[in-house]
This record gives sequence, C-alpha cells and structure tokens, in this order.
Amino acid sequence: MGQSATMLKRSVVLVLILAACGGAATSAPTVPGDRADLPATTSDEFEAHLAGLDRPAVVNVWASWCLPCRSEAPVLNQANEKYGEQIEFIGLDVQDNQKDAKAFLAEFGLEFDHFFDLDREIVNHYGGIGTPVTFFIAPNGQLVKTHSGILDERTLALNIDELLKLDS
Amino acid sequence: MEFTLLWAAFTAIGFSWVGTRLWSDRLPDHPTDRMIGAAAGGLIAGRLVAMMVQGINPVTHPLDIVIVRGGVHTGAAAIGAIVTYLWAGKWKIANLDATAPAAVLGLAGWHAGCLWRGACLGTASGLPWGWAEPGSAVTRHPVELYAAFGLMAAAWLTSRLPWRLLTRAGTALVLVGLVRFLTEPMRLSLTGGPVGWYLAAVVVGGLGVWFGPRISNRLSTAPT
Repeated sequence: MGQSATMLKRSVVLVLILAACGGAATSAPTVPGDRADLPATTSDEFEAHLAGLDRPAVVNVWASWCLPCRSEAPVLNQANEKYGEQIEFIGLDVQDNQKDAKAFLAEFGLEFDHFFDLDREIVNHYGGIGTPVTFFIAPNGQLVKTHSGILDERTLALNIDELLKLDS
Repeated sequence: MEFTLLWAAFTAIGFSWVGTRLWSDRLPDHPTDRMIGAAAGGLIAGRLVAMMVQGINPVTHPLDIVIVRGGVHTGAAAIGAIVTYLWAGKWKIANLDATAPAAVLGLAGWHAGCLWRGACLGTASGLPWGWAEPGSAVTRHPVELYAAFGLMAAAWLTSRLPWRLLTRAGTALVLVGLVRFLTEPMRLSLTGGPVGWYLAAVVVGGLGVWFGPRISNRLSTAPT
C-alpha cells in the first residue's frame, strides 16, 4: 500500500515536470487572433508562382490534423532559418480548416508562406500521395523530387544540398 | 506507412545478436533481449527529450512520441539506454563491460541499416567510392557506412581488452564518441549535429577507464 502511494506520488511529480518542461519550451500562442486566412490558390496559379521564383523551393504539404506533420514542423523551421535566403520554403495546407491551420502555424511559428489547398488539387497536380509529402523544386519551377512521409533532419538537409548544387 | 526504420532496427538487433555469439564470455542471461530493452528505454528517453526541445509538450501530445523520425535526442537516448540496461541487471556494473562489444556491434548495425533507409549519404565528395542519389550527378560520402565500419572495428578492439571494471565499457564509450565525432563533419545537418554529446561520451568513457579499476581495487581491498 505504502509502495503504491510512493509510486503514485512519483508519477504525479514526473507528469508535472514533463508538463512544465513542455510548457516552457512552447512559448508561441496556440490560438492566434490576428493572422490572416491562408490564401487559397489553384494549381495553375501555384505553378506560375514557382516558375517565377529565382531560387529553388521546398514545398511541404501539411495539415493540422496530421500527426507526423507536428514532428516535421520544427525541422522545417530549422531549415528555413538556416537556408531561408537561398531556398524558398512554402507550405501547402490540405483538407483542413482555416481556424485549425492558423492555430497550427502559431503553435510552431512557421514563418514562411503558406497556401490553402482544401481539396488537394495542387498536391494531385504534382503527383503527391498522402500527408505529409514534400516537393523539391528547381529554380525554373520543375519538380526535382517528391518525398512521401515524414522528413527527418538528414533527409531534408540532403535534399536541400542537392537543390543548392543544382542551382550553382 | 514505411518500414525502413524497422528494417534498420532489425539489422541492429542482428548485429548485436552476432556480437553475443562472438563475445559470449561473462554475458548475463538473455543478452540480446536485455539490449533490445535498453534500446527501447533509450529510444523513449531520447524521443521525449527531443519533443521537449522542439517545443512539443509530451503530456498534451503523447502520441507524438511514436513519430521517431521527428528526432531522437542523442545524449538522452544514450543515457536512457545505459540506465535501463543497468536497472534491468540489478545495477551490476560489470554487465556493461561484458555487453559492450556486442552493443557497439549493434550500433554498427544501426548505421549499416542506412542501406534499407536510403540514408547513407553525406557531404559531396569526388572520391572514387562516392555514391550519388538516384537521378543526381553529385557523388557523396557514404558516411553512415564509414561509421558502421568504424564501430565494427571499435567492437572488435573492445573485445580484446582485459576484464577490469569499466575498462571495456568506458573504452567502448570513448570509441563510439570518437567514431561519431570524426564522421560528423561528413554528415549533412541543419543543426551541426550533437558534437558536444560525442565529446561528452569520450570524456565520460575516459573517466570510466581511469577510475573503474581503481574503484574496483579499493572495494576489493577494503576491510570487511
């Protein structure tokens, strides 16, 4: 009985510590009040947008309900901070609603451009399957590579390096 | 759903199993099971810390822990694995020495598992053995295979050492830290890699090699 009580106390303390650590690390507000809706766009407009860029692009397809996207988001943020001047990072929010999408962006502080693709028209245009999926795009707007599933740090770094070599 | 990480894990288990057959002296019972348990403990610890570092609260988003590809904190994983292993063996430190060569070989297997994951390549290289990504003209260092070979050599070297408290385990930690430290510049990374943790492993392992036999002698000569 005494042992159970001790275990319970320890468990409670552990949960409180974890909650405190997680809370301390998450400083961004979870519900944004002033962020504008993500712009909806068509595949033709999106293709023209990519073709008009003077640098390579990484297009990440995400959704607020997508569990792997949550773990991918911090990696994309790191990549944007490191390579944001050489590579255009673009998010494509699919099969989502604006409120949850904005909460997701605020939670992870994803500070690059995002577009709204409710029915996956753009993703289907580029042949992407599932969520998350990431497209690596050459400076002329041509699709270089599609990565299906979650991106880890090494994979993203490798594909960014390939894009930069292509650009140089 | 993709299973490449799972295949890499199976490769690691296979390598560690071979290690327990090659170097079976003084091993505790069910050594491979113990190592798998320790790896699981390390994985959980490493993933939890990685989530907190990334700003994901593990209490409010507990399912995120299964997204291993989101990142595993190297230092926390190593500490978690060692602590789990010691706990499962009733804190018998000599078990670390007995298991060290097989564990290092298992780690080599994890790196060799890059062949299944398509994740062997690092920085660009003009060396004749460089590999290119499919569809790419850029050849690169197969850096994960360098690490795998380095760790295989480390496992063998560790197995040749004398049986003194923490000599094998400490040396294994030093060699693993060194192999990872030396190969890190050839890895592509967004954050520079956990170089500090590799150096910490070298220092902690070195302290183990230095103090382990002395503590052992002190205990054996202490009056009862």
